[in-house]
Amino acid sequence: MNELSHLIEDSATKLFESFSESDGIEKMESGVFPEALWADFIADGWLRTLLSEENEGAGLGLAGGCLLMRLAGYYAVPLPVVESLLAIYLLAEAGLPITDRLYSPAIIETALPETGEIRLNGIPWARHAAGLVVICSVAGETQLVLVKRDDYEISEGCNMAGEPRDDVVITSDKLQNKAELVGISVEDINSWLALGRAAQIAGAMRSVLERTVEYANERAQFGRQIGKFQAVQQQLAVQAELTSASICAVDSAIAHLGTEQEWELIACAKVTTSESAGIAAKTAHAVHAAIGFTQEYPLQLSTRRLWSWRDEQGNEAEWSARLGAYCMNLEADSLWCWLAKQTA
Amino acid sequence: MQQLNFEPVLTSDKETALREHVRSFLAEHGDFPAANVIDSWSVCDPAFSKLLAEQGWIGMTWPTEYGGGGRSYLERYVVIEELLAAGAPVGAHWVADRQSGPLLLRFGTEAQRQYFLPKVTQGECFFAIGMSEPNSGSDLASIKTRAERVDGGWIVNGSKIWTSWAHVCHYMITLCRTAEPSDNRHAGLSQLIVDLHAEGITIRPIITLAGEAHFNEIFFDNVFVPDEHVAGKVDEGWSQVMAELAFERSGPERFLSSYKLLEESISVLGKMALKQESMATIGKFVARLMVLRQMSLSVASQLQDGKLPVNEASVVKDLGTSFEQELPEAMRLILSTEPRANAKEGIERLLSDTILKAPSFSLRGGTREILRGIIARGLGLR
Repeated sequence: MNELSHLIEDSATKLFESFSESDGIEKMESGVFPEALWADFIADGWLRTLLSEENEGAGLGLAGGCLLMRLAGYYAVPLPVVESLLAIYLLAEAGLPITDRLYSPAIIETALPETGEIRLNGIPWARHAAGLVVICSVAGETQLVLVKRDDYEISEGCNMAGEPRDDVVITSDKLQNKAELVGISVEDINSWLALGRAAQIAGAMRSVLERTVEYANERAQFGRQIGKFQAVQQQLAVQAELTSASICAVDSAIAHLGTEQEWELIACAKVTTSESAGIAAKTAHAVHAAIGFTQEYPLQLSTRRLWSWRDEQGNEAEWSARLGAYCMNLEADSLWCWLAKQTA
Repeated sequence: MQQLNFEPVLTSDKETALREHVRSFLAEHGDFPAANVIDSWSVCDPAFSKLLAEQGWIGMTWPTEYGGGGRSYLERYVVIEELLAAGAPVGAHWVADRQSGPLLLRFGTEAQRQYFLPKVTQGECFFAIGMSEPNSGSDLASIKTRAERVDGGWIVNGSKIWTSWAHVCHYMITLCRTAEPSDNRHAGLSQLIVDLHAEGITIRPIITLAGEAHFNEIFFDNVFVPDEHVAGKVDEGWSQVMAELAFERSGPERFLSSYKLLEESISVLGKMALKQESMATIGKFVARLMVLRQMSLSVASQLQDGKLPVNEASVVKDLGTSFEQELPEAMRLILSTEPRANAKEGIERLLSDTILKAPSFSLRGGTREILRGIIARGLGLR
């Protein structure tokens, strides 16, 4: 894993750094898809990170994908990295043809309607996608329907970072061509999306920490750098603690992908990152003071993402309630055995 | 800015088998009274320590030539974690096993290793920490206890305080000033192995607010310490103490002191109709514990690799003790009961014990503010 992660980090870093120098984020926020960035992303083969080699993929699996997602969070990449990678992976798993186009996953939690229409809120990047990979559970089977862009209506929305989160309406006649996803549950897909988001948060937290420490070492007040004041140091230390806990939680969840502890470690990662994101953003803005509150200064690119991502794919209250309920259902006295198994 | 490293580590079948072994040991010897299970590493039971010694669970990572187990830090992690989670009274040998032994292995003389370490691993020799003084707490470099050179050794005068189990322990590794203070405050300090039964030593108990008597104040009145009991190099005690702290700060005792309260709370709440918020409270604390275990295990693995992750250890301790201290504050709000200090057992007793002991969790081994200062230095702010 180590060598692999260095490989991913080295090559993706180059690409994402070039994105940072582009006008991609402004484009995205003004409603224009950053086509040039997307083309580079495709050209480097990142869209197929999760796919096996027979699907012309990199064969890096979700673990490799999560490393890319964390890096995308670090660089505030204005592309649907989490969504596109998972959507194409699901298409491949369902045995459908693969093309290098943008698809976004959309999960239907309720039963499928026989007639009429279904509304899905906050679907990432739906307006720019070539189609939605709609997932639902029918009689215990996980079904996938590819709904082309012409076959759904959208009403545009965005999260606090300006990332597209559109409300979608699909009529039930467009949901007929179901393919089965064998061995993948709706719960699995929900948790993978949550892990992707958690990975992005962990990456963004690292960026926010680095930027804030750098600023504290430059900005001088009362004749010395503000980072020399204990009151500031103590806050930054806590921010560093929460950042490293978040990274560790995500790394642990990645290490447990495909094991029987997968779900609980992902739950832990989303609780940890979502809970820490707000504290990190708060400290970063306190240390930066007024300049950090401006659009011109780039701190907001990360903090607006943190405030958005912590609630997406389930916030810390929802995931901790699920995790808590899971623990309450463990046999008496087996909490410890369950915990210990997570590092074995 | 140094990156903090907490790369996750998974244990192997070897450690899993050892864990099972500890559990069967605990099934036989592990019926601990409720009054002792909170902060059980502050509970001293020499007879229990002797049982652990027979299992080879004291000095596990030390070389076999000194009576140690020659095992890995991960194996030690598994054993101490199981003992702590069960609320086992491991206080008697805790300091010797965790830091005094490793200190002697790292800085001590061959004769010291051969003399002290086998006794420790047999559960017959306990060490106390000799750092804090009445006027030197967090500012450790300001200590006043002096050791003056005499023929064949040193004469120690001064006092130490907050010394757990000094009245039970055999030795104390005592940080003393061996040279006049200079511009470099950290120079001129040395660590001496003081026999706590030596002439000139007075030990006076200090009762904690919870009514326990594990603390002591120790007075040195012309106590002679032979040259062969100097631990490490004369005048270089400071760097040795700093190395000792990497071992002291990152272990599972830094987040398991109130574990039994979490376990018992879940058991009690399981019998009640729970609100979503209460469920979330449990989940949040469980998630914190999950991450802390992984971080601490990662530090253990780095120690195994010969690294000294001082900053990471400080992170584990600060996050860990915050967890231990915040747990009773959160549980009391969802348990709908009142703490009972004199109850023989039950959640009311555990709540009471945890609340009364919790203030010390973030003080011992370096206060929260000191730890955050260390982390800030690692960030490049100091």
